Amino acid sequence: MLIEVQKLAKVYNGTRGLLPASFGVEQGELIAVVGHNGAGKSTLLKMLASWIIPDSGEVLVDGINLKNRMALVRKIGFVPETPNLFDFFSVEYNFKLFARLFQIPFSRIEEILKEFNLLTYRHNKVQVLSKGLKQRVSIGRTLLADPPVLLFDEPTSGLDFEMTKEVYRLLKSTHASGKTILFTSHRPEEIKTLATRIMLLHQGSLVFDGPPQEYFQSKIYENLYA
Amino acid sequence: MIRNIVTLTLNDLAIAFKNKTIYLILFIPLFVFLSLQFVDQKNEKLQTIQIGLIEHVEYSPVIIESLKAADKLFVISWLATEEEGRRWLKEKKIDGFLLKSEKEPHSLELLVLEKASFRTIAIVEGFSALQIAVEGKSKNWLADIRSLRDSGIQRQTLPTWILMLVLLVGFIVIPAQIAEEKEKKLLLGLLQTPVRECEWLLAKLFLGMILIHLAVIFLHLLGKFEIEDSLSYFAFIGVGSFCFSSFGIFLGFLCRTQASARTLGVLFYLPLLLPSALSDFSQKLHSFAPVLPSYQFYGPIKAILLEGGGISTFPLEWIYLCSVGLITSLFSYLLLKKRWLM
Repeated sequence: MLIEVQKLAKVYNGTRGLLPASFGVEQGELIAVVGHNGAGKSTLLKMLASWIIPDSGEVLVDGINLKNRMALVRKIGFVPETPNLFDFFSVEYNFKLFARLFQIPFSRIEEILKEFNLLTYRHNKVQVLSKGLKQRVSIGRTLLADPPVLLFDEPTSGLDFEMTKEVYRLLKSTHASGKTILFTSHRPEEIKTLATRIMLLHQGSLVFDGPPQEYFQSKIYENLYA
Repeated sequence: MIRNIVTLTLNDLAIAFKNKTIYLILFIPLFVFLSLQFVDQKNEKLQTIQIGLIEHVEYSPVIIESLKAADKLFVISWLATEEEGRRWLKEKKIDGFLLKSEKEPHSLELLVLEKASFRTIAIVEGFSALQIAVEGKSKNWLADIRSLRDSGIQRQTLPTWILMLVLLVGFIVIPAQIAEEKEKKLLLGLLQTPVRECEWLLAKLFLGMILIHLAVIFLHLLGKFEIEDSLSYFAFIGVGSFCFSSFGIFLGFLCRTQASARTLGVLFYLPLLLPSALSDFSQKLHSFAPVLPSYQFYGPIKAILLEGGGISTFPLEWIYLCSVGLITSLFSYLLLKKRWLM
């Protein structure tokens, strides 16, 4: 098991958040975490990325405890819904800053720029880029350190059709390279296209965990979405 | 570790340049320099003068009686020794005190804090008016005026401007930058790299200290202000920049957005600036200000710049500032660990 989650919980103001949830993730899975707004999807991903400190529970990623952030950052990469880039600097500067902090050779930046079709934008300030391009830069920056687990929070939120397709392509190629991916989504077609497994959260509880075919035929899907 | 701190500090400096903070750092000393040109044009109303007399000195009975009679203009304080007079003068308990003149036995010598001040002019005018009223125009009661500080008005206001610069970076610039990093999730992004929380915190402290030192040096270069004891001076600038940068980081952690950080910064900036800077002009402020960290910085800086003091005279103030810096750094570290308002 690559990721083991035991009774992970976070409560905001008494109600919202994630109620104790336990599950495991095998290497190479592409998991869609779905649910209504406020169901706890982003909270779950942010806890795995150390953005939010859990109230309780245990998480092991490749044997590394969630509390060992310094080791875990090399195992988990997180792409937030809104790209958190230094937008008054160029694409290249953003990559170089993270490469320095991860102590990665700059040659890796060239690989990522090429792979993500960002060579022509390398000297552009991030603030002048479209949301889709920013999302590409954000994903590329996360992949610099080559983490085995990737977390995407609403990766296609606010993107147009073309950019959405581009993000699908990136997710698929990243998954094909052997990465384990968890992403949150509201879009049924996105889940059908990408996911190999679905986890449904409802009011902070994990109410479904299984393959997409089973999910779309389940009563719980009908009750919640149909 | 050092490599990360250097990388983060350089990144922070680049951010300071990009978000125009650096322009503020250059603008404020320029503003201060221009303001100093107008300081001499200020006026001051005549108020009751607190005049000190030394108990063992034999003053002319006419002068004593005249001073007592003019109780709306002069309030007499009896002092045990000349040393006590100097101390009271420094503590602003009196405006000046009288000694027997060594040059002219029948005249007096006036000792004031600053010779070139409107307060001293007020004392001399008061004495002159009193003398004319009592004796008509005759030989001056005051033969000489001496001062504890012997520097110009520009230099005398310099400690206030230095305090303003330090507090500006500490309470306006730093909290806004911290809040911006939190608001745009840049800090969380950095914490997804192998950067320790303490490294990030140290980089921010260095940013504040570098900006403060740049501003102070730029002001000195512009105004051509010389420093006698530069070691003591920069020891206090250093510890002050540490204390207020750390305080500013802590304030930044208490805010979710830049706007709230600016507001909170101003709320701390003015109450810490004004009582300390105005303590020279008010007995009440002078007694209240020492509880503020800003005064513990302002007092030694003023003494070093104007009265030839050194760091050895102010070890407690140095320790006080260091302690405030360390305590606020610790709080910031705990808030960072808890991902407070992120």
